[in-house]
Amino acid sequence: MSERYDVAVIGAGPAGLAAAIYAARARLRTLVLDESIPGGQVKTTHKVSNYPGFPEDVKGADLAAAFAAQAERFGAKIRRSVEITKHDLAATPKTLELDEEETVEARAVIVATGAKPRPLGVPGEDLFKGRGISYCATCDGAYFEDKDIHVIGGGNSAVEESLFLTQFARSVTVVHQFMELQAEPASVQEALANPKIHFLLGHEPRGFQGEAALERLEVEELATKERKQLRTDGVFVFIGMIPRTDLLRPYLPLAQGGYVETTDAMETKVPGLYAAGDIRVKRFRQITTAVADGTIAALAAQKYLH
Amino acid sequence: MSSTYVKEIGAAEFEQEVLAAAEPVVLDFFSTECPPCEALAPKFDAVAEQFAGKARFLKVFRQGNRELATRLGVTGSPTLLFFKAGREVAARMTGEDIKRTALKAAVEGMLT
Repeated sequence: MSERYDVAVIGAGPAGLAAAIYAARARLRTLVLDESIPGGQVKTTHKVSNYPGFPEDVKGADLAAAFAAQAERFGAKIRRSVEITKHDLAATPKTLELDEEETVEARAVIVATGAKPRPLGVPGEDLFKGRGISYCATCDGAYFEDKDIHVIGGGNSAVEESLFLTQFARSVTVVHQFMELQAEPASVQEALANPKIHFLLGHEPRGFQGEAALERLEVEELATKERKQLRTDGVFVFIGMIPRTDLLRPYLPLAQGGYVETTDAMETKVPGLYAAGDIRVKRFRQITTAVADGTIAALAAQKYLH
Repeated sequence: MSSTYVKEIGAAEFEQEVLAAAEPVVLDFFSTECPPCEALAPKFDAVAEQFAGKARFLKVFRQGNRELATRLGVTGSPTLLFFKAGREVAARMTGEDIKRTALKAAVEGMLT
């Protein structure tokens, strides 16, 4: 006999946990599933400065834990490190097989699977992943104590994680394709004032080389097409995210880039199936907007179930 | 900390516990303050239990064994290495997206 829920939320990031808080408070039997621990991208963000309610910066890991604790307080059940190995999200009720071992049923499903780091797609990247190339500064920053490292990207993540990495590294060189950084001016100013951070603007990575571990980053100066070999101890890549929407592929046509179209109530074309957070087609992807999506999805699911 | 099916080792035991082991070995480099490591731990335990007696599942704390990490070219946590008869025999797995099914498949691959 499979366990039955009113709402299953897939993904325990800000969108999923906000949905769980609202669903659980509406006294819906709520299950949250995540392949990792709760928090989504927030849990590996070293600090969050723009989430309302925290006049001082909050550590991403603490904010993630607080979201999860709040959802659990109202009775949402959060299953950590669980993999969905089969699913039927078009059926009534919808079914999910977990870790090839058990099946759960839910009358409504909110998919909030978020996004993962976009790889650069240049030669050597797969080979040196974990051997010098990283996508998570909080996880791997400590490996680079007193080292000379590079950060690829010029948005908020790239600039803010560069600042974090200066705690460990001897130098951090930010390599960015454009001549200007796209990050918020507050972070850019802080980075410009940091003596450990250097900038290589108008350059793009072209390849990674080394023996057992990464030793050189090859870049191209876009204006002159000149290629340069940079000695490096490590490269952190922050060039945006790609949505995790493979789960939805059998049920819905996906929009460009793999994102999901929804109504403004977070409904997909499948009854009882909602999408929230970074997987949606939308213009801005922030913690605040993810939380808003999750809220709306849970309220819409509540109406659908009654 | 070791659990029922996963033993924690230090660099001094690497030679004997990993390279000289009779069975295939999966070695997990982990760190503290590493959410993906925390996420992997229960999956690693579950797969270790599944293959108990057939393969060995070991973990090593990176912060306490920096030199070994450097020697093996490990620069991220978690990183899984797969050894058989003293050699690495499968592609390393690293980062947030290590799936239980993928780990299981890799171990099955080492046993054939």
